[in-house]
Amino acid sequence: MIPIQHFLVLGAILFALGVYGVLARRSAVLILMSVELMLQAVSINFVAFAAYLAPQEFRGLIFAIFVITVAAAEVGLALAIILRLFRNRATANVDEVDTLRW
Amino acid sequence: MVGMEHAWLLPTLPFAAFAVLLLFGPYLPRRGDWLAVGALAASFLLYALMLADLLGALDEGPFQGVASGIDWLRFGTFHVTLGFLFDQLAAVMLAVVTFVGTLIFIYSIGYMRGDPRYGWFFAAMSLFVASMATLVLADNFLLLYAAWEGVGFCSFLLIGFWHERRSAAEAAKKAFITTRIGDVGFLIGIVLLWREAGTFNIREIFEFAEAGGYSREYLTLAVLLLFAGAVGKSAQFPLHVWLPDAMEGPTPVSALIHAATMVVAGVYLVARTMPLFDLADPVALDVVTSLGLATVLLSATVGLVVTDIKRVVAYSTLNSLGLMMVALGSRDVTAAMFYLFVHGFFKALLFMAAGNVIHATDRQEVTQLGGLAAKMPQTAAAFGVGVLSMAALIPFSGFWAKDAILHGVSTHQNALVTALVAFSAFLTAVYMGRLYILTFTGQPRDHHAYEHAHEAPPVMLLPVLVLAAISVVAGFWAFDGVGEALGFPGSIGKFVFFEEPEELKFPSAIAVASIVAVLAGLAVAGWAWWGEARPARVLAERFRPLYQVLWHKYYVDEAYQWVVDRIVLALGRAIAWFDRVVVNDTGVDGTAGLAVFSGFELKFLQTGRLPNYALAIAAGALIAAAVLLAVRV
Repeated sequence: MIPIQHFLVLGAILFALGVYGVLARRSAVLILMSVELMLQAVSINFVAFAAYLAPQEFRGLIFAIFVITVAAAEVGLALAIILRLFRNRATANVDEVDTLRW
Repeated sequence: MVGMEHAWLLPTLPFAAFAVLLLFGPYLPRRGDWLAVGALAASFLLYALMLADLLGALDEGPFQGVASGIDWLRFGTFHVTLGFLFDQLAAVMLAVVTFVGTLIFIYSIGYMRGDPRYGWFFAAMSLFVASMATLVLADNFLLLYAAWEGVGFCSFLLIGFWHERRSAAEAAKKAFITTRIGDVGFLIGIVLLWREAGTFNIREIFEFAEAGGYSREYLTLAVLLLFAGAVGKSAQFPLHVWLPDAMEGPTPVSALIHAATMVVAGVYLVARTMPLFDLADPVALDVVTSLGLATVLLSATVGLVVTDIKRVVAYSTLNSLGLMMVALGSRDVTAAMFYLFVHGFFKALLFMAAGNVIHATDRQEVTQLGGLAAKMPQTAAAFGVGVLSMAALIPFSGFWAKDAILHGVSTHQNALVTALVAFSAFLTAVYMGRLYILTFTGQPRDHHAYEHAHEAPPVMLLPVLVLAAISVVAGFWAFDGVGEALGFPGSIGKFVFFEEPEELKFPSAIAVASIVAVLAGLAVAGWAWWGEARPARVLAERFRPLYQVLWHKYYVDEAYQWVVDRIVLALGRAIAWFDRVVVNDTGVDGTAGLAVFSGFELKFLQTGRLPNYALAIAAGALIAAAVLLAVRV
């Protein structure tokens, strides 16, 4: 059986990539994709712990399914916002969207 | 039959008159003066019935007074009654309040005629009488204190009755604040007595004290605080400064409040609480004696130089109040109450006769009066009776009362105190003689005023003449035969006394000394002020520094002014500085300034850029994780 550390390291790498993407990217679509990456990294952790700690139960799996569901809804909402943004500003670059400030 | 248990009606009648006058006064015929006079006259009749009842009870043996009343406040086991106690002490006091009060009310009809606030005058006077009767009849300290403040408030209203005049408004304020200083002590004293005894009832407090409930020092402190209230109300040195200024009020007010009734409330209080003074350290009564004596000497000397006719009478009132305090300091309740009784008559007489003079001439300064005996002979004669009573010449009422005091003082105090009191009797004769001579004899100094002068109308003359007649005879109550003929158990000493009924004695040595002192005083007054008053002027010139001291009333007012200017106001400025700089600038404005400043600086964190926020979140999460790890380890 593959040791659990492998899954955790994979999750950590994916999460770190996601964080990097959110911080470094300027395109709103790419930031959204990075957020998805972070969410899936967490899902991997849930599934791995579920399999190793309580294989007879489904709690971790249910969490993973929830994460996927919420992520899908979130993508639907976020893409709609980005679409409206692009319609209004002709850009999806988050650096140029800074009117909500002092 | 109306009896002593109906004591509550006595203050209720004038209070009802006050309420009606206040609400409907302007709609009543004659603005309701008949209502006020009628209510007070009814009170006097009620008092006469109660007195008859009291005398009946006295025949049946030792009598402690009848208490009546209803529950006022009740919290668990603690309760205060709206209780009234009618006994001999209250009877003497109420004789002055109701009888002299009625005469003064009648007098006011003439004196206040045409005043724009005629109705309000009678309303306020009725309220005063109601408060005064409550004060006298109260069976507990709480009710007594409430009435005590009530009479003080009425005094404030009536001194400032002509408040358009700045001096009157100032005098009212001064009287109120000065008496308040004493009243604070009074209140603390009451609370001290209550704290140990758990009751405000005066009788119960006496029983508690007699059972040794208070330690000696505690009781001494408490009675001295009670006495502080008496010092304020009865205008004893050093809180005497308000009484001469209170003469800014209308003359009937001076006669009723600042001579016959309210100012003797302090004397009454000390007489009422004499059992407590007796149980306390002797130093308490020594304080009473000392302050009384200081007041006597101060007023008797200042009275020699004051030129305002009402103020001279006011200083003579101070003189009398001091005498009563000295008598109380000698544990001689009978003498003090006897003097209080006759003083109520002849001092009201002096004020009302002086009021006739002021009414007739529109002048108050004796330097502008003179020779008025020809124009107003009846007033002059009545005033003369008042002067001789005040000067205590035999056989006027003041003589018997003052000799009773002298006798009490000579048996209880050392020779120096006796000598000083006797000397004050001489001084009293001098300045009262001076007042009469300057006002009623000699050449008129202001011819315009003299031409206009006329005898007072009957409504003002009659009360004065009645009081003059009483002032002549009231002193004979000192004799058993007179008292018995009137239905009393004998002389006043067998009616009002502390511990044991006593015979009033007039040892010939004291009587002769007193008569000699008075005659000498009157002779000196005649020598100094008769005619051109040349000797008086020469003396004033010769002893100019002394004259200046007296003219400035021993600089007591100036001393108070200095204290207020230099100490009170300096303290006030320091506190104002603290309030402005520390509380306001630092505390209030500082908090607001900090919020404004931090808001101004911190708003730059709101860049509106998403990556900044994301970075902050990531950094925050990292720091939180690091802290968590560090704490775990």
